[in-house]
Amino acid sequence: MAVITGSPSTHRAGDLNITWTDVGPFLALAALLVAGFLINPDFLSATNLANVITRSAFIAIIAVGATFVISSGGLDLSVGSMAAFVTGITIMFMNAVAPHAGLWAIPAGMLVAILVGLLCGLANGLIVTIGRIEPFIATLGTMGIFRALITYLTDGGTIPIDRSLREAYRPVYFGTVGGIPIPILISVAVAAIASFVLYKMKYGRKCAAVGANEDVARYSGISIIKTRTIAYIVQGVCVAIAAICYVPRLGAATPTTGQLWELQVITAVVIGGTALRGGKGHVWGTVAGAVILELIANLMVLSDFVSEYLVAAVQGVIIIIAMLIQRFSNSK
Amino acid sequence: MFSRKWMAAAALGSLLLTGHAMAEDKKVIAVSIPAADHGWTAGVVYHAQTAAKEINAAFPGVEVIVKTSPSAAEQVSAIEDLSASRKIDALVILPYSSEELTEPVKAIKEKGTFITVVDRGLTDPTVQSLYVAGDNIAVGRNTAKYMIDKLGGKGDVVVLRGIPTVIDDERIKGFQDAIAGTGLKVLDIQYAHWNSDEAFKLMQDYLAKYPHIDAVWANDDDMLLGVLEAVKQSGRTDIKLALGGNGMKDIVKKVIDGDTVTPVETPYPPSMIKTAIYMTMANLVGQAPVRGAVKLDAPLITKDNAKEYYFPDSPF
Amino acid sequence: MSITANIAAERGRALPGGNAPAAAEPVLRAQGLSKQYGPVTVLSDVTLDILPGEIHAIIGENGAGKSTLMRLLSGYAEPTRGTLSMAGRPVTFAKPDQAQEAGIALVHQEILLAEALTVTDNLFLGRELSRRHVMDDRAMRGLAAEKLAQIGCPVSPTALVRDISLADRQLVQIARALLDDYKVVIFDEPTAVLTGAEVDRLLEIVLQLRAHGTAVLYISHRLDEVRQLADKVTVLRDGRMVGTYPGTALTQMDMARLMVGRELAALYPQKSTPSSEPMLSVKNATVPGYAEDVSFTLHKGEILGFAGMIGAGRTELFEGLVGLRPAHAEIELRGRPVRIHSQREAIDAGIGYLTEDRKSKGLLLDERLAPNLTLSALERFHPTLVLGRSREAAALAEAVRSYDIRLKTLGVKAGQLSGGNQQKLLLAKVLLTNPSVVIIDEPTRGIDIANKAQIYAFIHAIVGSGKACIVISSEMQELIGICNRILVMREGRLTGELQGAEMTESNVALLATSGPKPRPMAKGGTEWLS
Repeated sequence: MAVITGSPSTHRAGDLNITWTDVGPFLALAALLVAGFLINPDFLSATNLANVITRSAFIAIIAVGATFVISSGGLDLSVGSMAAFVTGITIMFMNAVAPHAGLWAIPAGMLVAILVGLLCGLANGLIVTIGRIEPFIATLGTMGIFRALITYLTDGGTIPIDRSLREAYRPVYFGTVGGIPIPILISVAVAAIASFVLYKMKYGRKCAAVGANEDVARYSGISIIKTRTIAYIVQGVCVAIAAICYVPRLGAATPTTGQLWELQVITAVVIGGTALRGGKGHVWGTVAGAVILELIANLMVLSDFVSEYLVAAVQGVIIIIAMLIQRFSNSK
Repeated sequence: MFSRKWMAAAALGSLLLTGHAMAEDKKVIAVSIPAADHGWTAGVVYHAQTAAKEINAAFPGVEVIVKTSPSAAEQVSAIEDLSASRKIDALVILPYSSEELTEPVKAIKEKGTFITVVDRGLTDPTVQSLYVAGDNIAVGRNTAKYMIDKLGGKGDVVVLRGIPTVIDDERIKGFQDAIAGTGLKVLDIQYAHWNSDEAFKLMQDYLAKYPHIDAVWANDDDMLLGVLEAVKQSGRTDIKLALGGNGMKDIVKKVIDGDTVTPVETPYPPSMIKTAIYMTMANLVGQAPVRGAVKLDAPLITKDNAKEYYFPDSPF
Repeated sequence: MSITANIAAERGRALPGGNAPAAAEPVLRAQGLSKQYGPVTVLSDVTLDILPGEIHAIIGENGAGKSTLMRLLSGYAEPTRGTLSMAGRPVTFAKPDQAQEAGIALVHQEILLAEALTVTDNLFLGRELSRRHVMDDRAMRGLAAEKLAQIGCPVSPTALVRDISLADRQLVQIARALLDDYKVVIFDEPTAVLTGAEVDRLLEIVLQLRAHGTAVLYISHRLDEVRQLADKVTVLRDGRMVGTYPGTALTQMDMARLMVGRELAALYPQKSTPSSEPMLSVKNATVPGYAEDVSFTLHKGEILGFAGMIGAGRTELFEGLVGLRPAHAEIELRGRPVRIHSQREAIDAGIGYLTEDRKSKGLLLDERLAPNLTLSALERFHPTLVLGRSREAAALAEAVRSYDIRLKTLGVKAGQLSGGNQQKLLLAKVLLTNPSVVIIDEPTRGIDIANKAQIYAFIHAIVGSGKACIVISSEMQELIGICNRILVMREGRLTGELQGAEMTESNVALLATSGPKPRPMAKGGTEWLS
């Protein structure tokens, strides 16, 4: 039998293949930071950066979950409404048990949040996989359902968290550990766990295979139903974690909570380098994408270039340019 | 051709309707309002339902039906269905949008229904028998006047505005006209879509951008909640005033409690729907002619009169 | 070059390119055509004369430069050096439509049709007939029906492409190339997805074109077709021209030798004798709509062939048996009954299945090789939840070595491999699950002759190691060459079994087309469910 022509570098050569898709989002992030500094030096102040990155934590955490769903070839439009719904249920639960349990209501409420998020994700997953309904339509449906439920629960107004819990819970959003805001730590932890699952565990392999080519996955003996449903469950749990960080910020759930988050989440995932049609997920890229989105918004306010009426247009242009740069550097 | 068909229909209709009216002999007031999708509309729904409950209990000869709709198109269908299924003596409507609802409301008026328009006017003012609205320009103006007064005629202000609509534009205009020529300077003005989360972020950015801010005006109380949270987090003490608008119960409560940063509030109260329903009823039942345009003033709510505007059971 | 010389000596003189004893003026002439991509030369100095009314075959191994040549001739790429001329006048094609305009049509190897549109829509895509700016559907349908009838394609002009069979799609694609009166029609592997009767029909079309005075450039791996059709044969190797020869001068073995550039060992390995120990026994297998009441036994060490026309239900039968489609059957593996409801259960039971569609069902083309290799064996290969990367790398190195997968680095993606190497990777992937029965559907479709020989050797080695193999193939020679027994299917049923000397092409063809008349089935067995 013939010997291999040439000598392929045998030592895990593939792992070191760094592509534009991998570094693109971080380059964009760096470019944005430089541009921001030139426009307004305050942009790079510790307070401003801490504020902006903390703010991006919700989208980042949810988008990490969305990376699973999109990587597995699905889509979840319900995340924004789901976040509002989970927030509402969590606050109502905490308020209900606060008189008996005192501050224990907070961790108990967190567990409830995770449970509710998990069930919402499971529902989405089963509708898509067992029900065989297009993810777009299925989650458009649940998006309406979750939004209506939170509107119903709040009577269209707000559900504020009990005053006795407010101060104790506040640090989860406003507190810091070692100078780093807690939401940032949480999102880094979520992303770290997620990237371990996606890149180092069998499940991640299956997830990417199902998203890249459903037939190949099926012919390789991988359960598509199981793999996708788990992705939606992960998404639900991520939404719950985001909700847990969100509650202490304004201390209330309203029918407008989480509005349009789904679009920001999808944008973050795509900016991060994960293809909308499925396949390999880029967890850290997604996190960078979420930060980029928030930085652009921040920069719009800090600069005086753009009329308040045109802010959204400029944001749109920047996102499209970022994607075009990625596209062209990819197809090179 | 056309008119003959309509005459026949009208004749038949009036026959049926007389029968119906004789059987019940109740005056019907239909109330069509947007569904609760944020704080203010939630307040509208609350006050409309309260008014309906009170009137239905107190006046056996009057029936108030409240119908909420989540979009302009659905509001059109809702009022068409209402007027098709029964005789309506009066319609109280807070239109989703002026353009889309003018024609359908006109069609109902042509059947002899008394029309009360609330808040947002229709494009054709002749349609309305009665118009009840708050004064958005006054909301901006009165807030501005208080600020000028309190800050001694000069200072740096940042403004958060809502969604590009007439309401938002009028409030901003009232504010800007009032501060023109004074020492008050608007450092920045940006949209935050009447959303607390966006207001929180925007205020954080304002705080990062401007080392000194004397006062903040969020032209809606939902946004003010986000502003207050951002100010609290920053620990900044230069902000002397943070004012809102609309009369949300949490903010009115602050006024009652004597808060120093938010000592006053300007109402654009959702309770105007209740005012409108009662006035409409007065016209139907009390034979008190109530026609024309009523503009509710936007007096400053201060510690003294705040209790009048405090509805702890309302969701808003 | 010594081989070339030998053959030339045996078979008469090779025709140096361009200097053929041309009676007619060449309709298309390529002179010194070369193509470089960056520093890489993929085609150098090719000189061709294409005469009207002549079938000119181009043969060569994968990577020999055949498709590059086609792309240059049909305007999909521009040559780095060299010239093209038509009827004596120099031409350049910057875009495919310019070549079409000049009278050159290309029938692609891949099916490039819009599945959601009708046959007629596809035929006229981009050149719709119109009357006063309104599309003239009736005229287009009429013309479409005429062209389809001319090439014997039985589909309705208004059928949706997604509803017609693969073979018919290929015919539609050919009809598209015949719509106008082209001077030169280029066929790129037209028979890759066709079998038996469809191939014959295609060859007939090609002969019709020749009779009509059209020049035909014919690229194929199937040397028997080339031998049957070609007036001239041009052989390419490593991007260079080996030579142009009269079609009658070369045997298939000669062609293979010229392509490979060395003496070939026998294509098929020596057959071994299977044991009598049953490995897999299937009773009364039924795949609703595709196969009915199929029973057979496979022995240890045996290579069992499944022959039949496209649509006979062979692929569907085995997809059913391995849990990829709804099916019921009594299956015994090594004498023990097994129940299989999903591909996972089949793999766990020890039955491996290599799909015929390696590009869209077998491999993740955008993924690197290691993840592809272990995809079916994740559970076995990585017993804990966490992936064992170094073990995976070692397995890949091992697979590359033992299956002779040719690649530049281990970091390439599966899609960057040639067809033959993809097939080897797929084989390695399935064998990594350690199956005792390996089912291979179309083991050598679209693969060049050198890789074919290797695949046959691997199959031989598989059964030699105590496993058993089922080979489904539309190439009768292949089945005859490697199988111990051949079962023939027709319209979802077994129509006969052939062994030893009975295994001839005519016997297989007879059973595949006119065996005992099967009972009509509930649903037409030849359609694909999507």
